[in-house]
Amino acid sequence: MKNKLPGYRKKELWWIYSFVLPPVLGFLIFGLAPILYSIYMSFHHWDMLSPPEWIGLANYVDLLKDEKFYKSIFNTFYLLLGIPIGMVVSLLLAILMNRKLKGISVMRTIYYLPVISPIIAVSLLWQWILNKDYGLLNNFLWQLFGIEGPNWLGEADWVKPSLILIGLWGGVGGTMVLYLAGLQSISSTYYEAAEIDGAGGWQKLKTITIPLLTPIHFFVVVMGVIGTFQSFSQIYVLAVDGGPEYSGATIVYYIFQNAFAYFNMGYASAGAWVLGLIIFLITLVQFKLSDRWVYQE
Amino acid sequence: MNNNLKWLSLVLMSSMLVLSACSGGSGSAGGSAEPTPSNEPSGGGETAEQPKKEPVTIEFMGHGNPNEKKIFEQLIASFEKKYTHVKVKYTSVPPGEYGQKLTTLVSSGKAPDVFYVGGSEFYRFAESGILMNLQAQLDQTDLFNPDNVWKQALDRYRYDGSTVGTGDIYGLPKDVGPWAFVYNKDLFDKAGIAPPPARAGEWTWDDMLEAAKAITADNNGDGKTDVFGVGAYNLESAVWGNGGDFLDSTTGTVTIDKPEFYEAMQFAADLNLVHKVSPNQEAEQAMNAYTRFVNGQMGMFAMGPWDQPAFWDLPFGWDIAAWPASPNTGKTATWLGSMGFAVSAKTKHVEEAFNLAAFLSLDEEGQRQNYQLGQAVPNLIDMANGEFLAYEKAPANRQVFLDIIQDYGRTDLPARSKDNQWLDTFWQEASKVWNGEMSAKDWTAMMQPKLQELYDKGNK
Repeated sequence: MKNKLPGYRKKELWWIYSFVLPPVLGFLIFGLAPILYSIYMSFHHWDMLSPPEWIGLANYVDLLKDEKFYKSIFNTFYLLLGIPIGMVVSLLLAILMNRKLKGISVMRTIYYLPVISPIIAVSLLWQWILNKDYGLLNNFLWQLFGIEGPNWLGEADWVKPSLILIGLWGGVGGTMVLYLAGLQSISSTYYEAAEIDGAGGWQKLKTITIPLLTPIHFFVVVMGVIGTFQSFSQIYVLAVDGGPEYSGATIVYYIFQNAFAYFNMGYASAGAWVLGLIIFLITLVQFKLSDRWVYQE
Repeated sequence: MNNNLKWLSLVLMSSMLVLSACSGGSGSAGGSAEPTPSNEPSGGGETAEQPKKEPVTIEFMGHGNPNEKKIFEQLIASFEKKYTHVKVKYTSVPPGEYGQKLTTLVSSGKAPDVFYVGGSEFYRFAESGILMNLQAQLDQTDLFNPDNVWKQALDRYRYDGSTVGTGDIYGLPKDVGPWAFVYNKDLFDKAGIAPPPARAGEWTWDDMLEAAKAITADNNGDGKTDVFGVGAYNLESAVWGNGGDFLDSTTGTVTIDKPEFYEAMQFAADLNLVHKVSPNQEAEQAMNAYTRFVNGQMGMFAMGPWDQPAFWDLPFGWDIAAWPASPNTGKTATWLGSMGFAVSAKTKHVEEAFNLAAFLSLDEEGQRQNYQLGQAVPNLIDMANGEFLAYEKAPANRQVFLDIIQDYGRTDLPARSKDNQWLDTFWQEASKVWNGEMSAKDWTAMMQPKLQELYDKGNK
């Protein structure tokens, strides 16, 4: 062992590695190994009971022929609509919460609460809120406006809007906090200068606030897209068997069903890799496009 | 910087070691029975003809509600009293996670010695050689008399190397679950009509529809129906009673496009679409039909024996009846569910594992507790025909459960194929018929090729 480093550096190095080792080991054993194994498995038919049999690309071919797979992709893309809606709502909330008022921190906490609530428990509550006959929401619509509310989770056309609604409720708090941080980092000199030039509130928002927040918009969009593509828990609870006409199933739900309801592990692995590819490509495109619209100070 | 590389390779090397150690561990079969000092047989409990045996531990995994868990804990305690050298390690997991957990354990070679199998699981597991053939044990056992067990229950756990239903026994029934037609007596009295008879064939769909119309009511005049005649009507019953079927098991053909099938399906759909005596598809989802019945807002519904404890608390009178017969054939049918106990082919303690399965399945005291707590119909024929029929709690027409088991109950759909994607898709897409978007005839014609393809993919 030839070592050109002085003694104290060597000691430090040793410490660095020993601190880094546990997570790295954990990742290698529980992360990388299964990931690599799932590539290998995606070329097999494996029901977890009998030994895997090599079938080449058949899983991928079947996947591209499977109507349910396309349906689940469509559903997932549909859910992406929640992202722009969520951004608008969160930004408005952040602007409201960016005041120096008494008790504002309590308000912020209230809006942030859904983010830290366990998603399964919350989904069960939503199931009751959205129930057609006994649900809070439909009763509210009926009592106040005389509208007979739809069967939110029981009709193919309403399942996805319901999921978006729930996503908004659970997501705006987190995005709001990001925007708040962004708003507070915008120097007030810009606004002062604009006021001197006679700009109104709307103009200030359009020409200063929104452009200066583009890094945050970008972060929210990228994370939102990835998060949406990975949404599963609420679907598992709210859309039994993928919902009516499979209208609520996302790609991850579809993969899960193939893996743990039908025990087609190879097929599910192939699905997971296609999903990984989709996310990767979309994120790549977003980064490529980001130069055009994200403002870097 | 080759020093760093060395480090990195060291990290990689060591991780590889750990990895290989991990995978090496899965080779040994599960259910290792490490005798612990605590379960040494107590000298006093030994009888003369029972030679002192090595203490063994048996793993048993099941699922179920807290009630069921309690029963099993008691059963296991009495089993351990009887076989003093055996200790049972019992795990109960939530029903929804059971299949996932069991398959994972099996595939990693850690299958419990005794476990539940049900539905399509039995088929898959028997085929993959995971279950022990119990025939030899069964033939020489003096624990029970196989003739005193429902044939329909035992047959579900036969496998002949290619199909289920014939051949050697690979499991013992935990129970059979006759899916019965239940009605709210008070609502029938209020409408002034005779309740459905317990004997099969006396009541047809038309009689049922008439009764349902009489019961359906809007009590507060807000234009919304408050009491429905019938809910969650059993499609299998309608189809089978009408002479149709979902699947021809011998040829593996999906037969939903036959007139016998789609007529029955249309009848079930029209209960809501045309006659408005049933809640519409949206309101019908799982919880609601049940909740409506329990709230006294539904005349006729369906139940399994496991629903008894909840129904015993109801403030109105109820009873079970035969499923209405198809007017075209005069016949009726319904599904018969079942869950079984299987023994792992890899168990190291064949005799003890079999004894446990047999004890849980057929021990008289356990069977008695089971029906008295409203969990199931006894597996033992003499008990079912004797004290079970005479038991004082509702339903009064207990004979209906037995009729279904012996007469017109059929293996439930999920247990008829290894892979049920075709079936799941059927139920998912069926809402197009329930909500009137398509007629049953058009929809079944459209779906048949799709379902056939799915069936072939998973089962051929």
